[in-house]
Amino acid sequence: MKIKKAAALSVAAALLFSSCQTESIITTNNEQIEISFSWWGNDARNEYTIKAIQEFERLNPDIKVHCIYSEWSGFQIRNNVQMASHTEADVMQINYAWIEQYSPDGMGYYDINELSSFVDLTNFSENEINFGMKNGRLNALPIALNTQTVYVNKTLYDEYGLSVPKSWDDIFKAAEAMNGEHYPLTMNNKATLFSLVAYAEQQSGHEFIKSDGTLGFTSEDFKTMLEFYSELINKKVMPQTEYFERIRLDNGEYAGTVAWLSDASSYMGGAVKAGNEVVIADYLKNDSAVELGWYTKPATMYAISANTDYPAESARLLDFLLNSEEMADFQGVEKGIPLSKSARAYLEQTGKLTGLQYDAFLKMNEFSDKMTIISPYMENTDILEHVQQSCNSVYYGKTTSDEEAKILMENISDVLKNAQS
Amino acid sequence: MAKTGFGNHSDKIKKTKITMIIGYALIIVVSTILISVLSLGKTSDIMEEKVKDMTSALNVQLKLNIDNYLSKLETTGTLIFATPEVYKYDAVNPTVDEYEALNTESLISDKLMELCVMENYVDFAIVYSNNHSVGKLSNGTASLFGNELYSSLEKIITRRRTSDGWATGCYDDYKRIYYVKRVNDNTVFVASFYTTELKNVFELPETMNDMAVRLVNKENNIIYSSVQDETGSLLPSDISDTILDHTSATVIDDNHLITVDRCADDWRVISSIPRAIILEEMNDIKSSTVAIAFAAAIIGILLGVFLSIKVTNPMDSLVSDLDSKARIDTLTGVNNKRYFEESVEKSLSEQNRNNIGILFILDIDDFKGVNDTLGHGYGDKVLSGIGDILKTTFRSSDLLGRIGGDEFAVFMTISEHEKENCLSIVKMRCEALCKAFRKNYTGKDNSYKISSSIGVAVAYKEQKDFSELYRCADEALYASKHKGKDTYTIYGGDLQEAGDKYEN
Repeated sequence: MKIKKAAALSVAAALLFSSCQTESIITTNNEQIEISFSWWGNDARNEYTIKAIQEFERLNPDIKVHCIYSEWSGFQIRNNVQMASHTEADVMQINYAWIEQYSPDGMGYYDINELSSFVDLTNFSENEINFGMKNGRLNALPIALNTQTVYVNKTLYDEYGLSVPKSWDDIFKAAEAMNGEHYPLTMNNKATLFSLVAYAEQQSGHEFIKSDGTLGFTSEDFKTMLEFYSELINKKVMPQTEYFERIRLDNGEYAGTVAWLSDASSYMGGAVKAGNEVVIADYLKNDSAVELGWYTKPATMYAISANTDYPAESARLLDFLLNSEEMADFQGVEKGIPLSKSARAYLEQTGKLTGLQYDAFLKMNEFSDKMTIISPYMENTDILEHVQQSCNSVYYGKTTSDEEAKILMENISDVLKNAQS
Repeated sequence: MAKTGFGNHSDKIKKTKITMIIGYALIIVVSTILISVLSLGKTSDIMEEKVKDMTSALNVQLKLNIDNYLSKLETTGTLIFATPEVYKYDAVNPTVDEYEALNTESLISDKLMELCVMENYVDFAIVYSNNHSVGKLSNGTASLFGNELYSSLEKIITRRRTSDGWATGCYDDYKRIYYVKRVNDNTVFVASFYTTELKNVFELPETMNDMAVRLVNKENNIIYSSVQDETGSLLPSDISDTILDHTSATVIDDNHLITVDRCADDWRVISSIPRAIILEEMNDIKSSTVAIAFAAAIIGILLGVFLSIKVTNPMDSLVSDLDSKARIDTLTGVNNKRYFEESVEKSLSEQNRNNIGILFILDIDDFKGVNDTLGHGYGDKVLSGIGDILKTTFRSSDLLGRIGGDEFAVFMTISEHEKENCLSIVKMRCEALCKAFRKNYTGKDNSYKISSSIGVAVAYKEQKDFSELYRCADEALYASKHKGKDTYTIYGGDLQEAGDKYEN
């Protein structure tokens, strides 16, 4: 009987054991919150930003960041599509003008003030924070200040016995001296727009776009712009903007350029590497100028999507991008001199506040009291396209400068009206 | 030395029991080891097969991922042909009006932007044979190829039918992966993406972190690797030597488990796991199996011991009972003649030469008269009582025996240091015996009286066997009888001395 009992117990134990084996086994995986981050930029920016994001993911293993990036060309269209379809990234590098464009009532981006427990806002002054304020909501934080800057390959200028130019007249003299062997001051389409506007403002003293978003230029001002463009091309100061190739700055075909302060390295780094001395020239204007005509703006800004599902995680990434030593280390002064106190302090400590970018920053500070804060509409791509088309039309003699100035004025007025409607 | 039959059986049973337990334990342990080894071997094979299948399936998935990713770019690129201006426009033709050309290029540029606007492509441009480009051509690409832009891109086209191709490592630069397709005789389309984008394509589940994933070209240059800082270098030789030119295979060698699949443009996706990682998991299984086998062996042994005891105990009890019956005189409770003799013989043979062996022989005086007078029942009672008297009088270590109908014997051993007291001990025992008889078997009215005569022989120094010792004691007993009974006599030597007849 005892043996039977023992056998029964054994069978029961075996059944119990086997029943344990069939129980569901649940293994939980480390769940990550996935957020997205979008930016535009050149190769160098893309490379260091991707590395920085990998570092952020290492430091924050609960967050995975999906990167969305491309060069500036096309990025704005992409951003338009994303904002309109509510598929924008959780954290975005944005242009200063986009606050007005996408968030006229301040509701287009997340109010970063609500996330101040994650983002250290004490790194920014009140004025700096005000760049991103819209309707009482903090829509974005600025990375650095930016302006179109005149870069000159002094080595090449020296070869022609030319001093560093200070005025448009100096530029035309340089073009004459170089006689088509080099272009003394080249520009892409956006730098061309800013230069034409600066020249026209210097002549008339009119503001291109007024602070209320209405057009300040007259058709005469536009005529000045269009004719000045043709003059720049005809006198071989620069090639047409369509034929501008950044790489030609590297090999010395171009002796100078106008580009964003934040683009110092990507535009002139190659020339410096090739052994040329590159300097920052004064903001160009003739003695007769009534205004400086050059603009400044927050270089780029970071914003958080108003529709994000993960505001806290997005804010942690935002704080990393703006204030962390790691990002400061990767970024250096590529986007300009950081406004964030902690990032700037780190760069100072590590001796990274040097070089062309820093020189450009100092030049901007030198002229800052004469510079105007850019109108948010000035970087509207439609304005850029209209100006380019009109410039070509006049240059190729398809229309007269008087006719085209009127057309251009009408087109830009429409763009501004549409933008505000 | 002779042994009792029952004693032997008892020993044999004990030995058998121990042998059974050891044998059982051995069988259990050997079986467990055998089963464990076989099952581990089988488990190892199955596990390797499973890991192989899983890795192979995962690699096929990765191959599909990269094929899809590349195919998506190719399809997007092909869409440029939806705009005739793209492939009809000839930027090199000097007769084309410059203003018209700019407008056409602007249209082409818009088209290109439209197509790639939502993608992380670094380049998405049309390049003409004069190195002029339209669309998105990165500074990095322009710098990399310089004045050889068009001619370098042309060389990337390797597929005859579709006039396109993939490449990376141009001028040893593995940062970007290029796709080039011919548009017309003087025009190519180029698109590229950062190699780092492939991190998303080759993302592995968290549990597969030990697996290395590599994308290699036909020359075994690593295009992408999950191992840091490997991009651009050659596939490690221990892997390339194993997979050779295989395009779809899974190989296990001493170092790795490797699976390879060919993807677009004859590139290969290669996943590998160090065999040590698999073995590490096998070792965990081995440890668990050994622990379980050990526990099973212990349980088996305990169960064996329990069952052996269960099986042998009744037999042991039976044998012990039989042994007792064969050894003990049932009437008196002392040893029977045979066992007594064997035991004394054994004791004498094993006895330390310095010990002293003493044999008492006790004979009931006129026992026949007791039977005749008081009946056999009373006679048996007397005999039974004598057993009790002997047990009371002698030590528990002394050997008691009934060696005849009314004849008893006691064999005691004393150590040499008691030699001086030997005579007094013997006398004390003999007198105690006589006194006990008188006390127990003298009726109240002296109607009957039972006494015993005692003969004692001593074995000391000189070897004596039982028969000789018995003869001496018997001779002493005879002397007691001759002296008038109810007395004791100690046989011969210095120790021989006749006891006085007791008188109350």
